[in-house]
Amino acid sequence: MTELTSLPQFPWLSLLVVLPLAGALLCLMHSKRPADCRALSLATSLAVFGVALYLFICHGQGEGRWLLYEDVSWIERYGARYVLALDGIALLMVLLTSFMQVSAVLLAWRVERQVSSFFALLLLLEAGLMGIFLAYDLVLFYLFWEVALIPMFFLISVWGGANRRQAALKFFLYTLVGSFFMLIAIIALYQIHGAQSGIYSFVIGDLLQTQLTAAQEGWLFAGFMAAFIVKSPLVPFHTWLTDALTESPAAGSLDLTGLLLKTGIYGLIRVAFPLFPNATESFLPILAVFALVGLFHAAWSAYHQDDIKRLLAYSSISHLGLVVLGLAAWQLTAWEGSILLMVTHGITTGALFVLVALIQERTGTRSLKELGGLWGQAPCLGFLFLLFSLASLGLPGLANFAGEILVLLGTFQQHPFWAVIALLGVVFAAAYMLRLVQGVLWGPVYKERSLPDLTLREWIILLPMAILVVWMGVYPEPFLAPMHGAVASLLAGGLP
Amino acid sequence: MSLLDLLALLPVLILVFAATTILMVGAWYREPRPLIAGGILTALLAALAAGMVAPPVSEIAGLFSAGGYARFFTILWSLLAAAGLMLGGRFVEDKKIGAGEYVSLLLYGAAGMALLSSATHLLGLFLALETFTLVFYILIACNRDCEFAAEAGLKYLLMGAVATGFMAFGIALIYASTGSLALPDAMTQLTTVSGELHAWGLLGWGMILIAVGFKISLAPFHLWTPDVYQGAPAPVAALLATGSKGAVVAALVGMLAASGPIWHDLVDLIWLLAALTMLVGAFSALAQKNLKRLLAYSSVTHMGTLLVGLLCQTSEGLAATTFYVVVYVVASFGAFAVIASFADKRGEPMSFDDLRGLGYRHPLRCAVLVLLLLSLAGLPATAGFMAKFTIFHAALQSGYIGLVVIGVFASVVSFAFYLRVAMLLFQSDKPASTWHVGSPLEHAVLAVCSSAVLVLGLFPGVLFDLIGRLLP
Repeated sequence: MTELTSLPQFPWLSLLVVLPLAGALLCLMHSKRPADCRALSLATSLAVFGVALYLFICHGQGEGRWLLYEDVSWIERYGARYVLALDGIALLMVLLTSFMQVSAVLLAWRVERQVSSFFALLLLLEAGLMGIFLAYDLVLFYLFWEVALIPMFFLISVWGGANRRQAALKFFLYTLVGSFFMLIAIIALYQIHGAQSGIYSFVIGDLLQTQLTAAQEGWLFAGFMAAFIVKSPLVPFHTWLTDALTESPAAGSLDLTGLLLKTGIYGLIRVAFPLFPNATESFLPILAVFALVGLFHAAWSAYHQDDIKRLLAYSSISHLGLVVLGLAAWQLTAWEGSILLMVTHGITTGALFVLVALIQERTGTRSLKELGGLWGQAPCLGFLFLLFSLASLGLPGLANFAGEILVLLGTFQQHPFWAVIALLGVVFAAAYMLRLVQGVLWGPVYKERSLPDLTLREWIILLPMAILVVWMGVYPEPFLAPMHGAVASLLAGGLP
Repeated sequence: MSLLDLLALLPVLILVFAATTILMVGAWYREPRPLIAGGILTALLAALAAGMVAPPVSEIAGLFSAGGYARFFTILWSLLAAAGLMLGGRFVEDKKIGAGEYVSLLLYGAAGMALLSSATHLLGLFLALETFTLVFYILIACNRDCEFAAEAGLKYLLMGAVATGFMAFGIALIYASTGSLALPDAMTQLTTVSGELHAWGLLGWGMILIAVGFKISLAPFHLWTPDVYQGAPAPVAALLATGSKGAVVAALVGMLAASGPIWHDLVDLIWLLAALTMLVGAFSALAQKNLKRLLAYSSVTHMGTLLVGLLCQTSEGLAATTFYVVVYVVASFGAFAVIASFADKRGEPMSFDDLRGLGYRHPLRCAVLVLLLLSLAGLPATAGFMAKFTIFHAALQSGYIGLVVIGVFASVVSFAFYLRVAMLLFQSDKPASTWHVGSPLEHAVLAVCSSAVLVLGLFPGVLFDLIGRLLP
């Protein structure tokens, strides 16, 4: 760590946070010219993607835990530092974030109302997410954690559907309550560490040295878990998500499901597990139960939805159950699978939300009862819908399969019983996805209407996603390689 | 009082002399703008004097401190008075209120607050408190067009009279049991050899606490607050919510720092007051349909949080409290300033119906209002977060875990009502009516408040270090 900090280097990581912030400010300054705002946000998000891609190519294969590390003094008096750190896992999340952001901006191209504010919020959200994935100081982490809430709140409450206000408030309060517990735990941990070592610091690397009694560790762990479980969200803390996803505008759902949900799980990996290994060890079986219950409950609920956006929301929760199960298995393959699944789920479900938005734009409905026969009316749209649905249900050769199989393999090695149950859940996923595909693509056409097929802009959004989904399904190695070192060192640092 | 004492008192003297002069000039010369400009310049000059002229003595006439802490607050309250005058200009012109009176009252008020924050003697405390309270009796009721104004003024007067009674009685009891009114002295005399408090002295402190409770609206002495804020014109309500409360808290911080741990016997009582105040404020605010009333209850919650900081009695806690005062003053004042800047001949937009969709008509100022509300709520990256963070941090350090949990709970509840306002502003069900575009001076106040909230939120270190050095 130290040898990295001593080298003067270009602040690439700060750039990932600052670029979207600057873009957001520029958007607000051009509020009178919506066309400029669109171009500006596209340029900004492309630039961020470029930086992330550069990091992936040039620093992705580094040795040791940290690929890049930035450390600047911040609030001296309290020992809070501005520390950004990039490991292989963060690298993948950063890459995913910046990639999805380009799609989100393109998807939001047709927003008519308050254009500059919309794009500014979208970019602010990106800055917050980047900060969450990079921060290695707990105050900084908490700051970004909350900052990411605000844009999402406004995206839902101003541009959302009919029940947007209630959904936005529910989303905000749920996650806020969780994160306040985290705040208390952060302060308490800082105190304990300071009293022990005389060094008051919020840097996670320093706090790792803290000696905690079992009771202290349990309470602090619970505080952090409150924030992460709600954000993930594990059943039964998931009800905010279905409302928020359903009501949010298209670009918002894309960011919410593709990115924001990942922050909770990322927090587990980056903060909660390493800091409290003993508590983690005793909590893992409970976490597995949470995950399995969520997997089935959400799959069951998904099967019974009529609103396809709600269906996809539940399917997200179900998939996240599998991700969490992989983490609970505490095994290298399972972890790599979980993290890969986070990324692939982000892309496939994100793409499905894009398609739902397009379908709703064209037909004016999201109800399965009123949809049908899309395949005949708009074949390209139908084909992509089928592709992503199949990817989502875990068809071999497509992206999610790679992650799922790794999770199941790894889990089977540690806890065969869990894996067998989870496998049943995957079958469930096939059931609701097929129902979705059946209801949207085939069957009788509910109402005869002329449906335009994909436009150029929509192709530009979806084609890269489609290529990625196939690529990651066939050859996921480039995405597994960078995280290998990070996962291995995380697992070695913890106990089980 | 020697010449040196007078030099140390220079900022207050500037305020008082200028206030008197402007009052007399205002009797002949009715043009508001030059008078207000004079008032603003005076307040800025006083702040400058407090910042630049090093006082030659450490205490003025044994009544007021001339230390760094006192001067810090003298600067803050002078600047606040200047901001209040910048907001009040249009109000004075519209309502045909004597500009001379308005300006001089505000300057007197600032002088009173400055003296209160530097009081080291119970008599000084009493005098300073009455000085600015008297000013507010008049200012609250000065808007004769508003149906609630006279009622609000009367309420504040009655409440003030009761509080004064308690305060005087408390001081008398302390004097009776210790024979001294100078603060460190009276505090040390208050404990007997065995380390217990004199019963009468304790009762005296309890009474002072009640008086303070009225002044800074701690529950259950807070009932006057929403009515008075609603009736008072926004520039006055802004000062009432920030300066008049902040000065009292600043005085308490000073007294506690000077006295050591004498609150020992009152800890349970203060604990209860703090918890009750935070909860009552947060829950009452949920039910409001009027922004000014909401801000009133919000201020109640904030005073409860401040009390948590005061309870800590450690230098950490006192520093946190001081930081919180500054942050609260900036954000709350800014929020009232937004209302004031919207005000036109019809009045001020304060009911939720007025606010609905206002964000589309006046995007910039509504964005500022949202930012300030989020700071009051304590969202990270705003100063409010750092303020709450330090208070809870200090409280945990002193072992008040229960209070922190209650405080956090109240914070979560308060997010709900602040966010409701934020959502209202950007509701598009029906077009909002257009309000005043605001004068450049008002915009300047808003710019200062909002940038202060952001800068202190991201780089709080500067102010922390300053407070750490100044704390008596």
